[in-house]
Amino acid sequence: MKTGWRQALSKFVRDRAALIGSVIILGLILCAIFAPYLAPFPDDVYEFHTSNRLRAPDGVHYFGTDRMGSDVLSRILFGARITIMIAVIAISITVAIGVPIGLIAGYYGKWPSDALMRVSDIFLAIPQVVLAIAIAQTLGPSIENVILALSATYWPFWARLVYAETRSVKNEIFIESAIALGAPPWRVMLLHVLPNIASAIIVRTSIGMGNTILTAAILGFLGLGAPPPAPEWGRMIAESREFLPEAWWYATAPGLAIFLVVMGFNLLGDGLRDILDPRIRRAASREE
Amino acid sequence: MRRLEIIVSRLAWFVPTIVGLLIIIFTISHIIPTDPVRVLAGDNATQEQLDALRKEYGYDKPLPIQFINYLKDVATGNLGISIFTKRPISETMWHRLPATLELTFAAVFLSVLFGIPLGVLSALKRNSLFDHVLRVITVSGLAVASFWLAMELQFLFSMNLAVAPLNGRISGFGPDPITGFFVIDSLLIWDMESLRSALSHMILPAITLALPAAATIVRFTRAGVLEVINSNFVLYERAMGIPWPLIVWKYVLRNALISTVTQIGLIFGVFLSGAVVVETVFDWPGIGAYAVNSILQSDYKAIMGFTIWTGAIFLIVNLITDIAHTLIDPRSSQ
Amino acid sequence: MTKHPFRLIALAAVAALGLSGAALAQGKYVHANNSGYDNLDPHAVFDVGRAASRINFYDGLYRWVDNPPKMIPWLAESHTVTEDGLSWTFKLRQGVKFHDGTEMTADDVVYSMERMLAMKKGPATLFMAIIDPGTTKAKDRHTVVFNLKEPSAVFHSTVPEILIVNSKLVKQNEKDGDWGQAWLSKNVASTGSYTLRRYDPAVGFVGARFKDHFAGWGAKSFDEIEFRTVLETNTRVLGLLKGDIHGTDGYLPQDQIARLRQASNVQIIEQESMRVFYFAVHNSRPPLNDVHLRRALSYAFDYDGFNNDLLKGAVSRNAGPVPNNLWGVPKDVKGYTYDLEKAKAELAKVKEPMRPIVIGTLAGFSETEQAATLLQNAARKIGIEIKVESAPWPVVQSRMQKEDQMYDMVPLWKSTYYVDPNNWIGEMYGMRYLPLRNNSYYRNPEVDKRLEQALKVTDQSTRDRLYQEAGRIVVDDAAGIFVYNTKWFGPYAANIGGIRFCPIGNAQDMRWAYFK
Repeated sequence: MKTGWRQALSKFVRDRAALIGSVIILGLILCAIFAPYLAPFPDDVYEFHTSNRLRAPDGVHYFGTDRMGSDVLSRILFGARITIMIAVIAISITVAIGVPIGLIAGYYGKWPSDALMRVSDIFLAIPQVVLAIAIAQTLGPSIENVILALSATYWPFWARLVYAETRSVKNEIFIESAIALGAPPWRVMLLHVLPNIASAIIVRTSIGMGNTILTAAILGFLGLGAPPPAPEWGRMIAESREFLPEAWWYATAPGLAIFLVVMGFNLLGDGLRDILDPRIRRAASREE
Repeated sequence: MRRLEIIVSRLAWFVPTIVGLLIIIFTISHIIPTDPVRVLAGDNATQEQLDALRKEYGYDKPLPIQFINYLKDVATGNLGISIFTKRPISETMWHRLPATLELTFAAVFLSVLFGIPLGVLSALKRNSLFDHVLRVITVSGLAVASFWLAMELQFLFSMNLAVAPLNGRISGFGPDPITGFFVIDSLLIWDMESLRSALSHMILPAITLALPAAATIVRFTRAGVLEVINSNFVLYERAMGIPWPLIVWKYVLRNALISTVTQIGLIFGVFLSGAVVVETVFDWPGIGAYAVNSILQSDYKAIMGFTIWTGAIFLIVNLITDIAHTLIDPRSSQ
Repeated sequence: MTKHPFRLIALAAVAALGLSGAALAQGKYVHANNSGYDNLDPHAVFDVGRAASRINFYDGLYRWVDNPPKMIPWLAESHTVTEDGLSWTFKLRQGVKFHDGTEMTADDVVYSMERMLAMKKGPATLFMAIIDPGTTKAKDRHTVVFNLKEPSAVFHSTVPEILIVNSKLVKQNEKDGDWGQAWLSKNVASTGSYTLRRYDPAVGFVGARFKDHFAGWGAKSFDEIEFRTVLETNTRVLGLLKGDIHGTDGYLPQDQIARLRQASNVQIIEQESMRVFYFAVHNSRPPLNDVHLRRALSYAFDYDGFNNDLLKGAVSRNAGPVPNNLWGVPKDVKGYTYDLEKAKAELAKVKEPMRPIVIGTLAGFSETEQAATLLQNAARKIGIEIKVESAPWPVVQSRMQKEDQMYDMVPLWKSTYYVDPNNWIGEMYGMRYLPLRNNSYYRNPEVDKRLEQALKVTDQSTRDRLYQEAGRIVVDDAAGIFVYNTKWFGPYAANIGGIRFCPIGNAQDMRWAYFK
């Protein structure tokens, strides 16, 4: 087992995609933690300078200023905190709901599996974005509600993934022998099934983070995200729209930030997929 | 015959699935403190007006009754009246559907046109520079926020270079609707001005919509082709000295096509979620933009109407995919 | 019977444009509008964004023109009112033709009023409280009498909103007693300036000049007008720059106006308008029921930063609820200034326990959000926490109309529906308009007494005095934070002439305009 992980690690270092991805994500985390020190104008998250609005990028404001005269770069750095918070919490909730449901349905088959299929069918019958928008709009714009909307609409994908993986593992000899030896179901699921589908879950988590950040950005763009003055990236892009084409930097900077971060998670997910389990390569690529 | 079973069970489950979805939407749309009657009555309504309207539209009844009445209406094909536009929702959906379909078909066309050849090429030239560059592009294509891409395209091509219209579907009124598809209609009446206008309006939203789908197609076409190339019978045929181009033509492409067709249903899902955002940014008068507007305006009957339609579209597309799969790949029907 | 003091400008108006319909006319005018024309029914639609279909397809008994707004006789030539102010008799113009060639009579006016009252939508709100169904009578073919339940000083200024439909034609298209609503939502049955040529709710409408219109036509009037829905500001601006459209709405962001000013093929017509931007404040909920907190917030808004930096000085400071360019404004009241020291002093006097204040802003109207965040920022400096929530207008509106759900504050505009101080201060702070239009939940008997009296008396100088007194109290009470009165910057192609701006309809009455 140990050599397996060591092998994976050395593979990981050699896989450029995974490496670049993790560097980007590390950068994002550092930006979020050290935002107050990195930002040239940390007060600009709240502070306005109306006479200094819509300044083009220069030596003082590297990414220019926004409609209130605040420094765009500083706001983007602080925005990283919101992005990470939303993605991490939403994905944790999603995993916490989706994995047990998928495990149980996959393990027992019969009516639990039917029930799962039918319920997830309901959620999958219209685009996740639409359902998330509807929920976020109902609950009102706030970070908590964005997280809630994303988790409530994303778990069925997870349940299905775990379900499918569980089904394929369940008929393997070592599982059947564990059951034959009289191990209780929870023990089989936790100690035998889960470790064998863990790699699929890890890969999916990375890509899921990217998807979640994109969907959260859409909510922000539509005005359903964190309320002002929170420097939420999607909201910043929406704000910038009426100032195009003059204030090009205003839309470009937060868009690039989103792109870079999602790219990081996708690259990492891709790399992990190659390293951990070539078998799941196709199954996972179908989910996008 | 297993295929047939799947198709029948899909059909059988359609109604309960949609009803389940409607319950969810109905519930969440009644948590909000918006009073549809006030919206319907307009800015300056009096209490008297409100009461009259509440009665007229049945909003004075308890919620479960309202829901059941709604289902009864839906069963007779009546989706109700939008509280915001005060128009029948079915009529609006019919009216807007061609716009969404036209854009979606254009995007499917673009993504297949570029996605399949690129996917095949990158598989055949595995680990070449081309393959690596394409991998970076496809990963980027899936990482870019569509609304932002749309805005940047507008910024570049509409505002600065002025080579494409900023948004909308056509300038002014389109050709008189025959099919509702502007490209087809303008060809039918041979109106080149309309055709040019329709195509130029379509290009930016179609590209925005096609990019993530093309990236997805490239990726699984590549994976599909690789699988075939490494399969035993291809290795065997190579060993038999059959020319490589013939093998590619005969087996590889055919299999790539099959894997694409089976994924169309999935891609269609990508398109529908994409359309919701892209239509909003490009002001494209389709059902996606209608859904977003309805949600933002808490026009819940319109949202429920959209839900039914999208559910139906998903079902139909999946059925077509199943049938197409059966036709192309005889093995699957056994 | 006494002659109403209203002076007739009838002859002048018609004489000025009294050329024959056969005169040479030309071209098609294309307008880009920022909201959709999803319904053409003049008795269902009643908002600023969709004014063009009402005003170009339909005629009212009177008509508003120019700025400052004046009322000219239109389908009615004159009116008289009884001493008690209850019975209003209108003399209709003779020989006015509907688009189908039939003659407009008093029966059509009666039907139109009954239709509004029965449908209870949009414009009906102006009349439901004062006119009962079945009380409007046709005295003869060309005389109609409205019988009011109570005297109303504002009825007179709402007469232009009585738009007349062709009763015979509408009745033919009634379905299940719907007053022809389904049909009239996409058809036009009127005497109006233009006949409907094309209509698509997703796109807009095309109107063709009605050659036999009773008011005649100018020598160069447009043959056709097209109003398109173009929601995106940038598209409207680009369309104007490229010459695809000839005009658009006059409330564009100033950054865009600046861009248009540089183009040689575009003209900007500047006019004082009547559209007051203010924060509606929940006056009855603690701690905002404390006048000192309201004053503290009034001192904490950066009026100059907002009006001059964000809006580039395109608006004028308005210290009270009634627009400065109307009567009934106490001219000596200077209102509040941005002064955090004074704000702190007022805050120190607040007795109620503090809590975070919630501002609801209008999604899609970024100005409201910018105003809210500006106040949020200044309030933070004096120790008041403000939360900003954005929601679409229908949501905000229905919350505003319930006392327990109204946000603490909402920044918004009060537009002109009729030109009378009652449109502003009366509806915003009069108790009779609780809770539907008085969303401030302001209950001050001193103010209310004056507003009520001003609705009953007809003497202009008395009404002026009453509104001034009420305005003074409202500002002293800081019942709202009053920010500015709008200027209108109408962007038109340089070759368009004859645009007649009026705060009601915002210059969208196209019958006066032409290509130079």
